[in-house]
Amino acid sequence: MAAHSESRVRLTILGGYLGSGKTTWLRHQLHAGRFADAFVIVNEAAETPVDDALLGRSSKLAVLAGGCVCCTAKADLIALLRRLCDERSRTASTASRLEQIVLETSGLADPGPIVEAIRSDPILVYHIVVGEIIVAVDGLHALSQLRSEPLGRRQIEIADHLIVTKADVAGEADLKRLLATLAQLNPGARLSGAAMGTDVPLPDFHGCAPELLPVLPAEENRPPIFPTRLHLGEGVDWTAFTVWLSALLHARGDDVVRVKGVVRTPAGRLLLQTVRKVVQSPEILPEQSDDTGREDDTIVVIGRGYSAETLSRSLRHFAGAGRT
Amino acid sequence: MCANCGFPAAPGHWTEAGATTGPDRLRERFRRAHVLQSVLRPYGLTAYDGGLVPGIQISTLSGNQSIVLTLEDVWPLAERLTGKPIDPLDPRFTGDAEGRG
Repeated sequence: MAAHSESRVRLTILGGYLGSGKTTWLRHQLHAGRFADAFVIVNEAAETPVDDALLGRSSKLAVLAGGCVCCTAKADLIALLRRLCDERSRTASTASRLEQIVLETSGLADPGPIVEAIRSDPILVYHIVVGEIIVAVDGLHALSQLRSEPLGRRQIEIADHLIVTKADVAGEADLKRLLATLAQLNPGARLSGAAMGTDVPLPDFHGCAPELLPVLPAEENRPPIFPTRLHLGEGVDWTAFTVWLSALLHARGDDVVRVKGVVRTPAGRLLLQTVRKVVQSPEILPEQSDDTGREDDTIVVIGRGYSAETLSRSLRHFAGAGRT
Repeated sequence: MCANCGFPAAPGHWTEAGATTGPDRLRERFRRAHVLQSVLRPYGLTAYDGGLVPGIQISTLSGNQSIVLTLEDVWPLAERLTGKPIDPLDPRFTGDAEGRG
């Protein structure tokens, strides 16, 4: 059955567009001890790596250069992760062993295919749990990138946590407009600001109009994504929910960007997450509620191409279907 | 691995994470087949899980049968058998249209 969360290595994916400040942020976080004892993987699309020099202080570091891990260098990433998991499996569980991996993607990577590759690998699926997708957003240039780059938008849509870098040098009006735009693109993500890797407060952007992003050829006729909260409590059990969600992801996987939430089952509190069509093995959470503000039996579906009302009615129908 | 049908055991499939004990697991399988049955019936398909061998049996009204290993595999199979994807947001499931068939 589902692996317990503590038995798998947590993988944090750090993404963001070219020059958005991923390495600067990560370097400071490593210095401040945030990812203590983590193995750091840095991917660079260029043949000549630079970022490893910046991150030289980290003792456990691997560089994958000359290809992006979401496409051309995917096999290298899988091989490296398998080696790390293999070494970890050979270490006694009582000894100190690898508990966390941080993957800094290249600026050209879409985190979606990376999660998909790990989930579809027959070995890694039992060893790695994707903890958080952090995406760095360039406080100075993101708005102009978002106007023309579908990749930049995809990176932002998939994030759990958006870090607006260079927040100290960006003009306040522009910064507010960027924040409103980010909140519109991915309303489910946490927003925070950073300057040279250190946290800085963000201005209040409520009431500020988001940038009107032009429709890109790849995104033509696609409405903006929005979050929907679904309460499972009354009458929706895990079984009916899985029947519904698996059918939804099969039929609408391109529209449903992310599903996250905690569901109570006979096996305990399960933390469920999906990235596009890929569903991660649920983690079993401790019984007492944690301080992350997660509400039990509430699922957030982030996507487009349907109405919140339709989604909720459809789920109720599936839950009621087995009871008639 | 089941010696009869050759299905490898697939622990950890996300749809089966809601039960850990034997009785819970069996109860979940029966309920899953029941929910599937009522969802698939309007499409001319039936779902059956006897609880003894791994997998879910999907049949057409003309007697064409297939066994799939997980819940996720049901939907591509149903799409192949019926010629169209089964969309949970179809008016049939949301009650958005009158006189649906």
